[in-house]
Amino acid sequence: MSGYHPDEITLMDYSAGSLSLAQSLAVAVHLFMCGQCRGQLEQLNALGGTLLAQSDPQAVEVQGFDDFMDTLDAKPEPQITTKVQSRLYNPLQNLLPDSFDAIPWRKQTKDIAEYDLTKQLAGQGVRVALQKIRAGAKVPPHSHRGQETTVILSGGFSDELGVYHKGDFVTRDASHRHTPTALQNEDCICLTVLDAPIYFVSGFYRLLNPFMRW
Amino acid sequence: MAQTSVIRSKVRHMSAPGTRDQDTQKWVDLLHQVAHHRDREAFRQIYDHFAPRIKAYAMNQGVSQQADELVQEVMTSVWRSADKYADSLASVSTWIFTITRNQRIDLLRKAGRMQAEIKVETEELWQIPSEDNTVSSIQQLSAQRHLSKSISELPEEQMIAVKKVYYEGKTHQEVAAELNIPLGTLKGRLRLSMQKLRVMLEAKEL
Repeated sequence: MSGYHPDEITLMDYSAGSLSLAQSLAVAVHLFMCGQCRGQLEQLNALGGTLLAQSDPQAVEVQGFDDFMDTLDAKPEPQITTKVQSRLYNPLQNLLPDSFDAIPWRKQTKDIAEYDLTKQLAGQGVRVALQKIRAGAKVPPHSHRGQETTVILSGGFSDELGVYHKGDFVTRDASHRHTPTALQNEDCICLTVLDAPIYFVSGFYRLLNPFMRW
Repeated sequence: MAQTSVIRSKVRHMSAPGTRDQDTQKWVDLLHQVAHHRDREAFRQIYDHFAPRIKAYAMNQGVSQQADELVQEVMTSVWRSADKYADSLASVSTWIFTITRNQRIDLLRKAGRMQAEIKVETEELWQIPSEDNTVSSIQQLSAQRHLSKSISELPEEQMIAVKKVYYEGKTHQEVAAELNIPLGTLKGRLRLSMQKLRVMLEAKEL
């Protein structure tokens, strides 16, 4: 069971749907591996349900119920009748081959290999990648301009602030300078999301924020 | 005799801790009618109640222009996916909230699709609670029942912070600027409110 989790404000933003998509991917991958956070997410979703139920109703102008049903009847049922997933789902499933060995890793140093997912997940100012660090190897010390989120998929690593294992969700920002070292027994594979967020304050651009922050 | 004990057990069931109040149960029953019998009258009641609230959500979230489109998308999903709803996992309003949130994200993603080829579906990143993907417990359900009261017991400044961040889809920076407080103060209020909600919920579950 995972020992390091997203903080509750991050989970709250995720539940509200206001966290960037790249960060949301990291949270979703952690949730896949962490029952405790799934439990917490349920409470946060319930908060959303409660706020929805409490909101002041606004008249729907375009159509009444009967018109709505007429439109619905005229629409063909889509082949996949629902978008609602029933199984606990690994959000990386469709982005990766079946095994980590089958990934076309790109060697960076003799100890570190990378598989870049940025193109598949897109956006400016954000980088999404899988990294593989050879068992026992050290990553050169570094810090970040933005925020780096790491979710461990296999193996583990340690740095100046702790020891992390499969499922852990680790956040480092510009104030941290760290030297991760993979644990001795196996290669460490993790998802890393590097976010250099751009924030717009005025009304129109706020709409674009979720993908501007990719 | 037998009849009395049935009634008594029903009464006990209704008032036992961890069960739902009548209003919560009403929506569960209506949605089941839709799922099992494609009952249009039941769906009409759901539509009449939730459509105007989904519209309010859309307007709060700054997607006013697509508010009616969002309402239609969500209500279509509710009609078509009603059989996926499990009352042991979430209340109807929570289930509809998660669908609404995801449809809103879809709308925003569609608008930005030129920027990137996106290979991950919204539903892969934000799962809708359903069998097999949700930790279900009696505590969760009784939590739901008490949440609305608990929210109203929060100190006003915390309640405002939660509503703005959670319900208006604003970034922390924007909310801090609106409230004219430092970012750290806002985060402090959010953390306190989450702690308070948790304490209130746990106290009521005992």
